[in-house]
Amino acid sequence: MNGFELSKVMGVVQRFRGANNEGVLAIILLALIVGMSIANPAFFTLTTFFAIVRSSIVSLIFALGVLIVIISGGIDVSFATIAIFAAYSTVRLSQSADFDPGLIGMLAIALAIGGLLGLVNGAVIARFRLPTLIVTLGTQGIFKGILLTYIGSQYIADLPASLAAVSTMNVFQITTDTGRASLHIMVIPAVLLCLLVAWVLRNTMFGRGIYAIGGDPEAARRAGFRVMRTQMWIYVIVGMMAAAAGIIYMIMGRSANPRDLVGGELDIIAAVVLGGASIFGGRGSVLGTTLGVLLVQVINNSLILAGVPSAWQRTAVGLLLIVGVGVQALAAKRSSREIRALVKEEVPA
Amino acid sequence: MNSKPTSGSTLTRFNDQVQDRTSAVISRIHVSHGAGRMVLLVLIAFTFFTALNPSVFLSLLNLQNIALASPEIGIIALAMMLAMLTGGIDLSLVSIANLSAIAMSTLYATVAADNPAMAEELMPVLILVGIAVGLVGGLINGFLISYVGITPILATLGTMQIYNGIAIAWTGGRTLYGSPESLTVIGQATVAGIPVLFVMFVLVAIAIGVVINKTPVGLKIQLQGANPIAARYSGINSHVVLMSTYVVAGLLGGLGGVFFLARNPTASADYGASYVLLVIVIAVLGGTNPNGGFATVSGVVLATLTLQIVSSGFTAIRLSSSEYAIAQGVILIVVMVADQVTWRRRRRRAPTRARVLASRT
Amino acid sequence: MTSPTSTYAQAPVLQVRDIVKTYGGVTALSGVSLDLVAGEVHCLAGENGCGKSTLIKIISGAEKPDSGEIIIDGIAHTAMNPSAAIKSGIQVIYQDFSLFPNLSVAENIVLTAAVAERKRIYSRRVSRPSAKAIVDELGLTLDLDADVVNLSVADKQLTAICRALVHDARIIVMDEPTTALTHTEVERLFALVETLRGRGVALMFVSHKLDEVLAVSQRVTILRSGKHVITSPSSEFDRRSIAKHMTGRDINDARVVSTLAADTPIVLDVEALGLRGAYTDISFALRRGEILGLTGLLGSGRTEIAESLFGASPAEQGTVRVDGEVVSLRSIDNAIAAGIGYVPEDRLSQGLFMEKSIADNMIAGSLDSHRTRWGGLDTGKVRATIQRLFDRLHIKAPNVSAPVRSLSGGNAQRVVLAKWLANKPKILMLNGPTVGVDVGSKEEILDILRGEAAGGMSIIVISDDAPELVASCHRVLVIRQGHLVHTLEAEDITVNTILERMAE
Repeated sequence: MNGFELSKVMGVVQRFRGANNEGVLAIILLALIVGMSIANPAFFTLTTFFAIVRSSIVSLIFALGVLIVIISGGIDVSFATIAIFAAYSTVRLSQSADFDPGLIGMLAIALAIGGLLGLVNGAVIARFRLPTLIVTLGTQGIFKGILLTYIGSQYIADLPASLAAVSTMNVFQITTDTGRASLHIMVIPAVLLCLLVAWVLRNTMFGRGIYAIGGDPEAARRAGFRVMRTQMWIYVIVGMMAAAAGIIYMIMGRSANPRDLVGGELDIIAAVVLGGASIFGGRGSVLGTTLGVLLVQVINNSLILAGVPSAWQRTAVGLLLIVGVGVQALAAKRSSREIRALVKEEVPA
Repeated sequence: MNSKPTSGSTLTRFNDQVQDRTSAVISRIHVSHGAGRMVLLVLIAFTFFTALNPSVFLSLLNLQNIALASPEIGIIALAMMLAMLTGGIDLSLVSIANLSAIAMSTLYATVAADNPAMAEELMPVLILVGIAVGLVGGLINGFLISYVGITPILATLGTMQIYNGIAIAWTGGRTLYGSPESLTVIGQATVAGIPVLFVMFVLVAIAIGVVINKTPVGLKIQLQGANPIAARYSGINSHVVLMSTYVVAGLLGGLGGVFFLARNPTASADYGASYVLLVIVIAVLGGTNPNGGFATVSGVVLATLTLQIVSSGFTAIRLSSSEYAIAQGVILIVVMVADQVTWRRRRRRAPTRARVLASRT
Repeated sequence: MTSPTSTYAQAPVLQVRDIVKTYGGVTALSGVSLDLVAGEVHCLAGENGCGKSTLIKIISGAEKPDSGEIIIDGIAHTAMNPSAAIKSGIQVIYQDFSLFPNLSVAENIVLTAAVAERKRIYSRRVSRPSAKAIVDELGLTLDLDADVVNLSVADKQLTAICRALVHDARIIVMDEPTTALTHTEVERLFALVETLRGRGVALMFVSHKLDEVLAVSQRVTILRSGKHVITSPSSEFDRRSIAKHMTGRDINDARVVSTLAADTPIVLDVEALGLRGAYTDISFALRRGEILGLTGLLGSGRTEIAESLFGASPAEQGTVRVDGEVVSLRSIDNAIAAGIGYVPEDRLSQGLFMEKSIADNMIAGSLDSHRTRWGGLDTGKVRATIQRLFDRLHIKAPNVSAPVRSLSGGNAQRVVLAKWLANKPKILMLNGPTVGVDVGSKEEILDILRGEAAGGMSIIVISDDAPELVASCHRVLVIRQGHLVHTLEAEDITVNTILERMAE
């Protein structure tokens, strides 16, 4: 094979790998699915597939928000609290005022609350340039406290009619010989959000600004990006997406519990990082994130089918994260050495 | 440092000297301000709750409760401070502590099933086992961070999941009961009215303080956090420094597990789940710079006390734990913002430096 | 002083008038004025800390002046902001380029312009051709789809220049553009500058390298300690007069070098050292008390040789003997154990802990030798070491607990030097020991080195500052493209020979 063909092949391989190793992730996911299907035919059914999709919906929406923050070079641990705050407050409000503004109305209220809480994060982070992890850690406590003290700490078993109506709605439902398989309607907003976020990140100046800020905030400022304003918007948007996820979570769970969701923040961050986003900012894609979330869900599902106690799920995800990031770290170490040697070799000796 | 103006532009020289003096004073304030500020906060919190409900808040029992609840959180916060001092973070500490408590409790229960008397005598061995679990946890973290080169936040996020997963699988998600009587006795004993656990915590804190400020390895940890590249060029071996930091952090986590079990003869995988983030709050509140290089042990000890005082003060005036969560968040953000504002004001006094020639290779 | 307008009758595109800027109590600029005409290259020269960078920041809108005004096309502004400056056609290429490492070359080129035009939508399909147009117009070869992080320094700079042009810049300011370039890359850059000038762009070229200043510009403005010294056509200057205006005194070409006895023992013996892609077959010997110069252009391999001897990037071939014993230099620990010290090139990022105290910085490299029997830090001994070095190096600082950030360049460099002297190495290598140091400190630092050498230390000075090598070195090794090409001795060591041998 001559050099030209080789470089062409390398180019194709490179393109398939994607900017953030999406290709590698896809292969791992595929291998896992094939392996599981061979080991246990019960895995390769529509029922399992729909179950995995269903369990991914809320995580995926959270992960999209986390992805945006991570690309901008930050980290957010308050999103789960914002989600439950916004969704529970909305339900509570509707219940105590005995007023049902319909699905869209409910969603609008929740989004407004989520956006407002996100604005608090964004204002403190952008105005005072504080470490994002620490700020969201603080606001998380504040939001949780306010929710449980002033809004309510009671479990609400019956949702307002407009929400309850969608709870059992499916896009698609068939009965196969392995049981009934149904695809919940809430998969639609999740897919739409994926497409929307992907489009915004790739094709708007706001999206490119997020990458620019994550790459080098000082350079972004010099280039004329309004860094403070962009940062504020990032956290407002993440707040709104969290609120949407909160409402969807309640619809699918058919109840509202103010103590739910909180505690799983780090799992979502792990999925996003697995999906190729760089914790240092500037890198990440919706495709990678989606694959990351699916991979975690598939692993959880396979472990159950493989008869491994569900207790080991956390360990498996942790191991996957360590192996994934560890391989990247080792590769980075080696390539930095190689790049140095290559660059120098261009100097005729 | 001669203050006598000697030549030509007397006024300029004088100005320079005044400038030098003030900046020296300011820099000294900055060095001790983590601790100084926390003394103030402790006093404010203390007087505030005393004024609101003296009979309950000032009771011996309440004060002892503060002193009893602080050590287990404080010791993990010290471990977090160490990790942050090198510019890292350790999210796995609480999982390590729980794993250590679970290991101890399981070992005790196994031996006690056959021979209760012997299990009782095993107490010192159990403590060693607990600390050993911490050591192993810390070794794994240290290896991943220093030799494999994984960013601390991701490495410990992963090991946190792993350790926690092992704990869940081990206990089947249940709470384990059982620990030697003598350990519980230690956990509840007091010396001159001060709980033994608190005394131990203070001793450990002093030891850590001595290590960071008065030993070569401690200074290396600080310098590694302040500028890893300059540390490398100064001959400081980052592998050794990071490894020892995370091993010590793991050891402290293991000790935290011993404290868990001494205070409460039960162990479970999800005990102290809220501690993960709480100890970060304490470390930062105590003046630890999350970017590395700066931290004071006294600041972290006082921050632990402040949060415990606020917590029990809230109980004394009948506020809920949720309201305590609000207070915790507000204190963190207010302190951080105040810090940032004073830092910027101070920074503005000095000329900004040209950017480093970072692009050179 | 010649009035610039008499030489260039054309109306200036940019004028700055009486700019004053202070930070806290320190005056960075006190009433600086200058103007820029279309189609000229105007050099802004001066030593580090003279106010060049501050002036650039004010022109680009990154900083606001305390008083004074900026006049563009006859319209006066009291202050700019980054977008307004870009809209007026001002583009600044910073020393660090301010590129986005995570984005492609094409996107880096077009993104700034898109921001200035307040675009909302970004389209790869539209932006790539416009990036390509600029790259082609300048006759450059750049991979438009490569991520900037993977580019060489020279290509990064070309990307930054293309970015400046995409927005129809009429005024381009280049801050120290040649610092990290090799000789051929500098020539390519100067050709490009000439092209731009032909298109009627006004260029401001900021530098402290005298030869460059003379080679590339039509007019020169010199600043010293925030004050305007002179503006004149470059034909009226030579190296010596520029240096004189920059420093305020004559340069001293005299050699102050001790004589070494013929039987002085060899301390360091390097034999056939090689590192793939960096240098090959380097052999030399260093004697006790000798100051050896190691020179060459940037990228010649001089820094790599030093870093290999320090174990930072170990050599692949060859042997190194210290005092006759073969030593293995696989890591920095090895080198330090063998008695080798190294003051790195980039003081701010490699040499100092800026926020840490002077004291901590001074003992950072010798912590293990300040240990008590119990493993603690011997505070008495530490204090003695610091006091000794403080006096020895004449460090000017209010007290040792002040952060290093508060020090001037010269004093900061002495702190780095102190860090190594505290370790008492047999061999001390210094990379660019006086870069960014004021003239007075420069002389003193060289004196300190002479003193240490007289005391028995062997010293290697890695530098491309010829006068400095002339003034202090017993011998000078010239490295070119990874090979040791000349060893200059005694009367051969002059500024001219060094410069010729380096570049030939």
